[in-house]
Amino acid sequence: MIYIIDHEDSFTHNVIHQFENFDNVECDNFNKINKKNLDKAKVIVLSPGPGGPKDYPVSSKIYNKFKGKKKIIGICLGFQQILFCEKAKIIEQSKIYHGFQSEVKVISDNSLFKKGKKFKVGRYHSLKLKEPFYAKNFEITMRCAISKVAMAIENNKDKVYGFQFHPESFLTENGNLLIKKIISA
Amino acid sequence: MTTQNYLKIISKSKKPFVIYKSNKGFDLYTNFSKKIILTNKNIHSFINKISKNKSKNKSTDLYIGFFGYKILNNLIGVKLPKQKGLKFPKGIFYKPETKITLENKLNYKKEESNRLNGDFKININKKAYKKIFDKFKKRIKSGQTYQIKICTKYKNRSKIDPLDFYCRLMKSNMAPEAFMIKDKDYSIISCSPENLITKIKNFITTKPIAGTLKKSKKLNKTKALSFFKKNIKETKEHNMIVDMERSDLSKICKPGSVKIIKKKTVEEYKDLYHYVSLIGGKLKKKISSLDIIKAMMPGGSVVGCPKISTLNLLNTQEKESRNIYTGSFGYIKFNGDMRFNIIIRSILDYQNRSEISVASGVVIDSNSRHEFNENYIKAKSLMDLYK
Repeated sequence: MIYIIDHEDSFTHNVIHQFENFDNVECDNFNKINKKNLDKAKVIVLSPGPGGPKDYPVSSKIYNKFKGKKKIIGICLGFQQILFCEKAKIIEQSKIYHGFQSEVKVISDNSLFKKGKKFKVGRYHSLKLKEPFYAKNFEITMRCAISKVAMAIENNKDKVYGFQFHPESFLTENGNLLIKKIISA
Repeated sequence: MTTQNYLKIISKSKKPFVIYKSNKGFDLYTNFSKKIILTNKNIHSFINKISKNKSKNKSTDLYIGFFGYKILNNLIGVKLPKQKGLKFPKGIFYKPETKITLENKLNYKKEESNRLNGDFKININKKAYKKIFDKFKKRIKSGQTYQIKICTKYKNRSKIDPLDFYCRLMKSNMAPEAFMIKDKDYSIISCSPENLITKIKNFITTKPIAGTLKKSKKLNKTKALSFFKKNIKETKEHNMIVDMERSDLSKICKPGSVKIIKKKTVEEYKDLYHYVSLIGGKLKKKISSLDIIKAMMPGGSVVGCPKISTLNLLNTQEKESRNIYTGSFGYIKFNGDMRFNIIIRSILDYQNRSEISVASGVVIDSNSRHEFNENYIKAKSLMDLYK
């Protein structure tokens, strides 16, 4: 079962429908976490949402508790939440991407995805990762082809994955394939 | 009986009535056997009971009316602080016993002359608007909202013949979701172009509009489309609404069934081009009318995104009640089918006061002066009716 933690976003149900392609999905609001679901889940998904990672201490707690024990996937805010828990700084960016389609590029040999591959994605973010960023076993595996902002992280040892863009957006090419690869990793 | 004669009779009779745009013309509903004034207490049972009516096949087996903005917020758990403004009901629905089909051309000669008390007054001036606007821009930078719509109101004392207004409005601004309500103590006149819910059996669609372009001699439909496609701001706003509506539909539809049926197309109206998408899905089993209303309302395109966080921001800044504005008008049939619009481009006339509300969106690259003026243009076509 995949357990999605909803940060009260208006895209969460797109995320749910996308993950339902691969397994049963349960979803609860971040302030109404169901402990049974959380314990039962094989995969935890941190949804997109408004604000920044500091606004969701509950989600940070869950990440820290289950990292290395369950697969964890973060999308947009969820991606930032993971990085925040890994001591990264999440900062405002001068150019803001809301409803923006742009091209990302796979930049790492260690990625589940083929190095050098480019594809279009949908973006909804005001904030970004402050670099340089380093955390054990984490690697930035995709970047915006133009601005070079970090767009995906992978930690294949602890099975932690994050996308700054939205795989569930209609603006993202092959979003289902991305999720499929991560689910089966 | 001809449409013109019928309109004359219904107006003389002083009976309350509702007119709603249909595919070919208009439908007029009257002889109301029930009138339900909605409150936070009765709204759940009102909606839930509709499908329990046994008769299902008559064209009058339905409730028609509106949900105001406030009750739709409350329905999804968003509370509003105390606001100023008219003490107008939160929602009203009628059970009609008569439905009349009217032609597409509405002709009517008014009985009394319309009166207006000087110019319309705006509730938020340019300076105050800029202040709210700048505040919201900060919220966009910090990620609390991606897009937010500030509502401004134009108000005046007035005495109007709503049927005359509606018929003239349909000549100047015909719109697919246009409607009017005339009751004893209030009337609403609207040329809404935006359908929020069309539900027939287990299929539901929504048709958000994001992007408007005024017609000119140089433009045609193809050129309008390329304008929208090249305009990054309009494109981003539209994308956001499409993803948001997909998500709202996904709450109540079967996984994998939510599809974009028409992606970013241009629709042509008398004076405008609109940038429109059509999104639909198959409803899950055991989804009630209430589930549908809670999933879809208030309509995302007139609030902003993400919905809950943006509503909370809006409600701290808007000191005056939106009343009907950005609520929904439409009907729920006894067989569960429904059609609802988003109440925009509307006049509310109550206690000899008219109010016209308009809103436009703040995204990161919008300009306060431009949006303020845009609001005026939107209100102007309605204010012109008073001349």
